[in-house]
Amino acid sequence: MEQLTPDMIWVLVMIALAIFLFVVEWVRVDVVAILMMVCLPLLGLVTPKEAFVGLSSNAVVSIIAVIIIGAGLDKTGMINKLVKPVLLIAGKSTSRIIVAISFTVAVISSFMQNIGAAALFLPAIQRISKVQKIPLSRLLMPVGFSAILGGTITLVGCSPLILLNDLLLPFNLEPFGLFDVTPIGLVLVTSGILCFTFLGRFILPQGEPLENVANENTCSMDAPGEREIDENCFFELTTTSDFTHYRDTVNVGDLKNRYLVHTVALTEPPEFKTLSPSKTTEIRSGVDLVVWGAKCDVERMVKSEGMSLKPTIECYAGEFEEANSGIIEAVIAPRSQYIGRTLGENIFNDRFHITALAIHRQGEVFRAKLDDIVLHTGDVVVFYGTWKRLESLHKEGGLLFSLPSDLEDMRPEKSIWAGSWLIISLVMIMGFHIQLSVALMTGALGMILTKVLSIDEAYDSVDWRTIFLLAGLIPLGIATQKTGTAAWIAQSILAVIGDVSPIVLLTAIGILSTLFTLVISNVGATVLLVPLVVNMAIAAHTDPRMAALVVGLATSNSFVLPTHQVNALYMGPGRYRTIDFIKAGSLISILFLVVMISMIYLFYGV
Amino acid sequence: MAIVTISRGSYSMGKKVAQKVAENLGFDLISQALLYETSDRFRIPHKQLQKAIHDAPGIFEQHQHTKKMFLAYIRSTLVEMVSKGNIVYHGLAGHFLLNHLPHVFKVRITASMENRVAVKIKEGLSEPQAKIKILEDDDHRKKWTRSIYQADPNDGMLYDLVIGIDKFSIDDAVELICQGALKKSFESTPECIRLSQDFLLACKLKAALVENFPDVGVICEYGNLLVYATTKEAHANKFKDVLGYFQRENKGIHNLEVHDMMTMPDQAV
Repeated sequence: MEQLTPDMIWVLVMIALAIFLFVVEWVRVDVVAILMMVCLPLLGLVTPKEAFVGLSSNAVVSIIAVIIIGAGLDKTGMINKLVKPVLLIAGKSTSRIIVAISFTVAVISSFMQNIGAAALFLPAIQRISKVQKIPLSRLLMPVGFSAILGGTITLVGCSPLILLNDLLLPFNLEPFGLFDVTPIGLVLVTSGILCFTFLGRFILPQGEPLENVANENTCSMDAPGEREIDENCFFELTTTSDFTHYRDTVNVGDLKNRYLVHTVALTEPPEFKTLSPSKTTEIRSGVDLVVWGAKCDVERMVKSEGMSLKPTIECYAGEFEEANSGIIEAVIAPRSQYIGRTLGENIFNDRFHITALAIHRQGEVFRAKLDDIVLHTGDVVVFYGTWKRLESLHKEGGLLFSLPSDLEDMRPEKSIWAGSWLIISLVMIMGFHIQLSVALMTGALGMILTKVLSIDEAYDSVDWRTIFLLAGLIPLGIATQKTGTAAWIAQSILAVIGDVSPIVLLTAIGILSTLFTLVISNVGATVLLVPLVVNMAIAAHTDPRMAALVVGLATSNSFVLPTHQVNALYMGPGRYRTIDFIKAGSLISILFLVVMISMIYLFYGV
Repeated sequence: MAIVTISRGSYSMGKKVAQKVAENLGFDLISQALLYETSDRFRIPHKQLQKAIHDAPGIFEQHQHTKKMFLAYIRSTLVEMVSKGNIVYHGLAGHFLLNHLPHVFKVRITASMENRVAVKIKEGLSEPQAKIKILEDDDHRKKWTRSIYQADPNDGMLYDLVIGIDKFSIDDAVELICQGALKKSFESTPECIRLSQDFLLACKLKAALVENFPDVGVICEYGNLLVYATTKEAHANKFKDVLGYFQRENKGIHNLEVHDMMTMPDQAV
């Protein structure tokens, strides 16, 4: 076996540093990648040209183009339109709905980023859950997993597969075609969906159907026992004529802090009705107000503050009609401008005149000190407001939710152009064997030229974190290969495990990739493992392309923990806990490995 | 309904002053009883509690949670003992342990080194021995306060009244304190009672959690308990069990939430 050289030791140190930083997350993964991009040439492990070669790589250009094409399809509302016929076919059966939506998401995910497909479908799934009265927790996980699995249907479905051909270049191995992985991907998707269809009731949390909007949340005090004492709903109250006498000023914020009761409508003397008043608004004597809260908390407030509770919503009946205002659950979208800021800092009340009522995160409901809660991707914020105001919030972007009236700024007239450019790209790849990046960029450019998207919208849609993560880690792969580190690690591992059959080696690589992707990003795992497993496969006389393919596919096998972006996004709305992912994800992960290895064995004859 | 805490340097006559203040005001005096009560409640040897509240954490104790745990127990007991009001607490760290209550009258008694040495000499020590002993004691208290509360016990800003006992007689000091204790600022208003009840709930929950989850923070406002924990802690079964049991066993809790991934506010216990 080769001796360890100083350069190899440095590469090992850099790999260890990258893995360490991926795990501890002291800095974001894309920053780790940029760190590698800068440190490797400084240490002389790659040339300056090699350090930045990732930025012009086929993989990076392809992913930029895929994101733009996905944004174009999204902008025309084409994907949302797919939901209606899909539901018609599915009917009312829960399992048929799951199969139909999951399969549609998987197919869409095979041509756009998994997280994009998942985010796109979330409002539609929430709507289906409400209309069909199916608990969201039974729909979201199968759909989310299908979005991840759908990424394995084509070579542009997920970042690791897009990256694969670039990582094979130094070994002079034949690149994979766009649909080379399709048979494996389709079987993976089908087996995942079948698993949820037959075993869903055992592995999915059963949950409750989503509450309906506006007036169904209005409680009647005359009908005790109809609703649980701790269920939140609207109540109308009146303050006494001496409410402000002999006491400190009581404002909207005080009621929220003391009783966790939100004032959503308040009359300001003489007769001025305010919806979603600010927290500093004073509550005067002899005024009507509508609050949202748990019955027990409202009753406690009424007793302590000397208010009187009306049997139904009277003064505000018009404002609280379903056609005028209501409650929505908005999910914090990936890359949302609201991420990392507290609810208070986002000043929803000041800017949109709506009221944030609660936050759902990982199965927990937060009602206290909402303004101090820092928002994360996948958090569900419950808002009350008039539909008009909620539409303004929707147009601002960054939140995923569906409104009764769909007034989004869509360009449905451009649907044909968007679909055509996608097809043109595919024909260029399949029919004319034009390089992936060139063909996809043609599609992306076509969308801009035909005004499906403006150039600024195209730039805005690109997730630069993903781009730099890919581009920054490519030089690490080059350094691992160039210095002989990959060959050295591969030989060391083979020396320990001895001679094994190709299928055992591929299984071991599959398991290793699955474990890596649980703790570090899928792109990181691919870049680190591909040079390694190609060397191992060559030394063990196994097909190195298959070894690389196993890594490319198995780095999508990220279901056991909510670390994958799609799982993180669906965790809040689905009210999932980590244990729910462990339960369902373990089964799907094992199934993934078995199906993947079996398919490689049967289809590629390894 | 006032609460008076009397802090003092060693051999500064604080004990005598506290006894007389309690006698004059007709208040209950809490001193050593606090540690005995804590020892009984939480089944911790009295000596260990004494050490926790007196000695600064040693090099090997910095990362242990024992001291944190014992302090949470002591605080929970003290807050419960003073919740009825009309209390003089004479002992270490009263001004810190009860710092969330606005109606606590915080008094510090100081004495010159000469007078403190003189007291010690009366106990049979030589002058140099007495000096060494007093300096050692002061050093311990300083270190303890710094390590636990990042403050200097001699900082006058921590107290409402600082009395240099050298130029006053004990009776003068007692009179000053009694006058102060009856001022309007230290009256127990309904708001103070509410704050005491909230603080007691927060301290009790912290005491319930501290053994297994020493780094959680708890705040309570209007009976709404909020626990600040890490995501790992928040999802631990044991954590949920403790919270469930606490909610069942304690009255006056209107809501209990656990917030993870958030910066703990300064007022959290």
